[in-house]
Amino acid sequence: MLGEILDDLLTSPSTGPCITTFRQFPARPPVFVPLPSSVDPRLAEALRARGISQLYSHQGKAWALIEKGHNVVVVTPTASGKTLCYNLPVLQALLGQPDARVLYLFPTKALAQDQLAELEGIAKALPELRMFTYDGDTPQDARRAVRARANLVLTNPDMLHSGILPHHTKWAVLFQNLRYVVIDELHAYRGVFGSHVANVIRRLRRLCRHYGSAPQFIMASATIANPGELAERIIGEGVEAIAESGAPTGDKLFLCYNPPVVNAELGIRAPYLGEAAKLATRFLSEKIPTIVFAQSRLSTEVLLTAIKTGVADKTGDAGIVRGYRGGYLPTRRRAVEQGLRAGDVLGVVSTNALELGVDIGHLDVAVLAGYPGTIASLWQQSGRAGRRSGASAAVFVATSAPLDQFMVTHPDYLFGASPEHARVNPDNPFILVNHLKCAAFELPFAPSADGDGVEKFGEVDVRPELAALEDEGLLHQAGGRWHWASETYPADHISLRTVTTDNFLVIDTTARDEKQTKRRQIIAEVDWGSAFATIYPKAIYLVESVPYEVQELHFREDEEKVAYVKRVTVDYFTDAISAKGVWILRRLAEREHPAYVAEQGEVLVAEKVVGFKKIKMGTLENVGSGEVELPQQEMQTTSAWVTIAADVLARISRSREELIDGLRAVGYLLHHLAPIFLLCDIRDLGSWLGDTTPAQPGAVVTRESARRRLLEAERFNPTIYLYDSHAGGIGLAERVFDVLPLLFERGRDTLGACPCRFGCPSCVGPVNEVGRRAKATAAALLRELTR
Amino acid sequence: MSSPADLNGRARTLEDLRRVIRRIENVRAARPAPEPIERLVGGEVMDTGGGPLVVVRREFPLSHRHGRLALGDALAVAAPALELLAPLGAPSDPHGLLFLDTETTGLAGGTGTYAFLVGAAFIENERFVLVQHFMRDFDEEPALLAAIDPLLDRASGIVTFNGGGFDLPLLETRFVLARRRWPATLAHVDLLRPARRVWSAHFDDCRLPTLERRVLGLVRENDVPGYLIPALYFDFLRYRRAAPLTRVFEHNRDDVLSLAALLGWFARALTADADLGAGELAGIGRLWERCDPGRAAAYYERALEAGLAGEEGHRVRLRLARWEKRQARWDEACALWQAASAARVFDVTPWEELAKYHEHRRRDFSTALRIVRDALAFARAAGAPVRALDALGYRLARLERRTQGAVTAPA
Repeated sequence: MLGEILDDLLTSPSTGPCITTFRQFPARPPVFVPLPSSVDPRLAEALRARGISQLYSHQGKAWALIEKGHNVVVVTPTASGKTLCYNLPVLQALLGQPDARVLYLFPTKALAQDQLAELEGIAKALPELRMFTYDGDTPQDARRAVRARANLVLTNPDMLHSGILPHHTKWAVLFQNLRYVVIDELHAYRGVFGSHVANVIRRLRRLCRHYGSAPQFIMASATIANPGELAERIIGEGVEAIAESGAPTGDKLFLCYNPPVVNAELGIRAPYLGEAAKLATRFLSEKIPTIVFAQSRLSTEVLLTAIKTGVADKTGDAGIVRGYRGGYLPTRRRAVEQGLRAGDVLGVVSTNALELGVDIGHLDVAVLAGYPGTIASLWQQSGRAGRRSGASAAVFVATSAPLDQFMVTHPDYLFGASPEHARVNPDNPFILVNHLKCAAFELPFAPSADGDGVEKFGEVDVRPELAALEDEGLLHQAGGRWHWASETYPADHISLRTVTTDNFLVIDTTARDEKQTKRRQIIAEVDWGSAFATIYPKAIYLVESVPYEVQELHFREDEEKVAYVKRVTVDYFTDAISAKGVWILRRLAEREHPAYVAEQGEVLVAEKVVGFKKIKMGTLENVGSGEVELPQQEMQTTSAWVTIAADVLARISRSREELIDGLRAVGYLLHHLAPIFLLCDIRDLGSWLGDTTPAQPGAVVTRESARRRLLEAERFNPTIYLYDSHAGGIGLAERVFDVLPLLFERGRDTLGACPCRFGCPSCVGPVNEVGRRAKATAAALLRELTR
Repeated sequence: MSSPADLNGRARTLEDLRRVIRRIENVRAARPAPEPIERLVGGEVMDTGGGPLVVVRREFPLSHRHGRLALGDALAVAAPALELLAPLGAPSDPHGLLFLDTETTGLAGGTGTYAFLVGAAFIENERFVLVQHFMRDFDEEPALLAAIDPLLDRASGIVTFNGGGFDLPLLETRFVLARRRWPATLAHVDLLRPARRVWSAHFDDCRLPTLERRVLGLVRENDVPGYLIPALYFDFLRYRRAAPLTRVFEHNRDDVLSLAALLGWFARALTADADLGAGELAGIGRLWERCDPGRAAAYYERALEAGLAGEEGHRVRLRLARWEKRQARWDEACALWQAASAARVFDVTPWEELAKYHEHRRRDFSTALRIVRDALAFARAAGAPVRALDALGYRLARLERRTQGAVTAPA
């Protein structure tokens, strides 16, 4: 059936021309090695009972390296038997050494639960294994029993950070006997989250030294460019990487689909969400299990609505398609996972939340609605379709954005490119200092072995930071040791994932008003970072495509963070409009060119949601708008910026209006092309056109303030900013600064090759947003910048 | 492996730090010589085997009155009473008890909270001896732990107020961190638990100052509020301001003395015929219920005789009824349920018990039916929760079926 549909897609006149390329990945046979003779016979027996009598080659290699005492990271595709790489040595240790203890870390509680179920399958016949999850869901009265009984503890970095390390004396037996630490889904620990986790591991290893243990680390990761390097940064020790998989794969077809051009003049293509929905509906109508990946929570809901409608039209049953994203309550997510495994749910529309190894069984088709931002995610998402035998397919549906268009028209790049580097910066000053507080709380900082300084934290000499913390009154020095000297519990105030720990509850008041009940019907949670852009008053908030209108948003510091919503019947959804401002705080590097000055340093980025657009479901046309009054959110980060020489600007145009449009166009283009050089996600960067005025206290952004300021300024010195969207920066701005000349060249070439007349979403942005002169002005600017 | 941003960031941090350090150095130069705290609190610096430590030792005669009670009253506590008070293993001998209270750098718990002042009292040569151990800085903690280790070792049991939830886990953490063995099998009397049983129903709270005022007849003067204590200690660490800490020592001493007096109160209430109020009688009954339900019932009866009323009386009546039911003394049980069903606030339990009694025991369906109908009417009028109404409705339907069955069955 799958083959017929694919055939039809490739040959039909309506879809055939849209498929810019397709590639077949032939089935690969397994490479086996015998079960090593050193495996405990009881374990070998348990494996045989599960039908495992030999190992894939990568599992055998992992066993050998771990046996020799190396730290190991295994980087092989989805469903290649990665977990056995760590389960095998772990179970061996627990069988052979009654005192040995093991810690498993997963990025989410659900993954720990999945793994526990898998381990219990193997360990049924092995009474030596006492495995428990320990996380926020573990009841208080069960925690003591877990601490006393478990020899294998499955948890997550957040719990380790706030629940285990600060109470390490209660876990003394575990720390004294810690044999292995297993870190699965290592690739999830990048950026700010990864930088936090690297520091949590520094704290863990510091406590292990105190208790006299030195655990070995076994890690597993999805494909990224630098798994060995990331692993070493996270654990602060040498790591061996294993990348060749010995697992078999079935036939797989990968299609690139570029939605048809509907207005050649404006360079407008058919909306990619509609096209993706049509393709998914087609597969689902023939009962082919399909997963659809959307790029945001909002597009997940929009896609789900469209697909449900399409499937209901064809099969009369919309219930076989469900949504899945962060923000849904855990019970709803578990139900969807369970439904997928059992086959009651045939299709799912998800954000990258399902990219991780949550067990959802096997699906036949993955539809990627939009480039997921990174090559690594692209393969991870398309890997969700596929079995060890039998055919599967993945379809990438391109948006009109320059990066998507580049990928869909350069298949060789898409298929040949290295996946991205996962970056972490554990020495980011904000993050480091926060974990120093936690570390001092756990154990006073001791003098270094030579007696001259203070013990290192990871590889960092932290004397200056400790002195600063003492000045803040948080540490106190006595007898050469730095003690925690505050009433607070520092881990409670540090979240590993976002800047604040406050989540908004979304509460449905529909029933309350009808029945006068006081029961709180919580329907979702929204994190602080995205609350203002999703649950502002009058916003339409969608939960599994059911629309709710936000009545009130409570965000003041002294009140509970809540959005009250009401069920409504509308045919539109809303999209936030925000205003932004960027101000320079500190210059750290500078480079001059005849046409421009490039600088790099720290900036203040302020953002504010000022209104919203109403967009009609289905046709996606703009049907109205509204205004909102919300506070501004500020962040300090690192940035690169380019200020173009006044004489160059004067040569190109005398109109400031025109120049501003052209410069904005250049910024849009550079922002969208930069990920190719930085090997990062496009959302890791932000861009902005402003000027070089220093930050004023209390500066407030408005929608038009930057433009007006540029138009009215006495001296016209417009500046393009490309900044790191992680507070404090994770090293991207420095890379942008380094590659700027190459980026300008790529921008010039992309613009030259784009067939549109006045600009389109695939080069400088849609013409009705950037103006009719923008493309020409941008081209002239880029010629000067690359001269 | 540092990227340029780290280097820049760190260079800047260093700059800031130099300024900070200069500022600290200036402050240090101007700092006056520390006031010797041991003199202010009437103690001395002793080497306890783990280094120097401030130790304040005070002795009291057993007749010393702390409020209405004498310290020696605690020794009258009899073995069965100790068993009630320490459910997880009772101390063998009241003369070997250690009364313990800590002052800490915070309430957060975890490994970064220190006990800087540990007050411990014991009986020695028929005297009540209270020893306070104080660390003048974090590096004196080993000396403090070395000093209290032998006290714990010698004790037949520990007496605390909320020690199970706070003081003991905290000390255990300190012991483990210092690589000392923590005596895991300590017998422990945590007075908070029985205090809650006896007083939580009619005091606003069961905090120690409340109990002192209302049970021991004691009002502390100029007592330092608990929440200020960590800050006073941090102040002392940084600026060596010792005078404000003297109030913390007094606070700690009063806490320890109150432990002995409270235990004395329980000793009398549990064993002798002390002069107890109705609520207290009910609370003591609750304490006895686990080991000696008969004795508990006797206390309940006395509590009701003493005029225990309201919601508390209602609850005691139901407990007593449950006891009578278990003894199959149905008349007594029914009388209590009857009385309880007349309570001003509707409670479905006594009605259900009566209905069950008539339905299952006496097989008198029509009386049972009447009771359930009355109960439903009462419940509706009282606006009882849906769940209670549903249960009664269900019972009513069944009884109606059964009464009809009884009529038609002979035919």
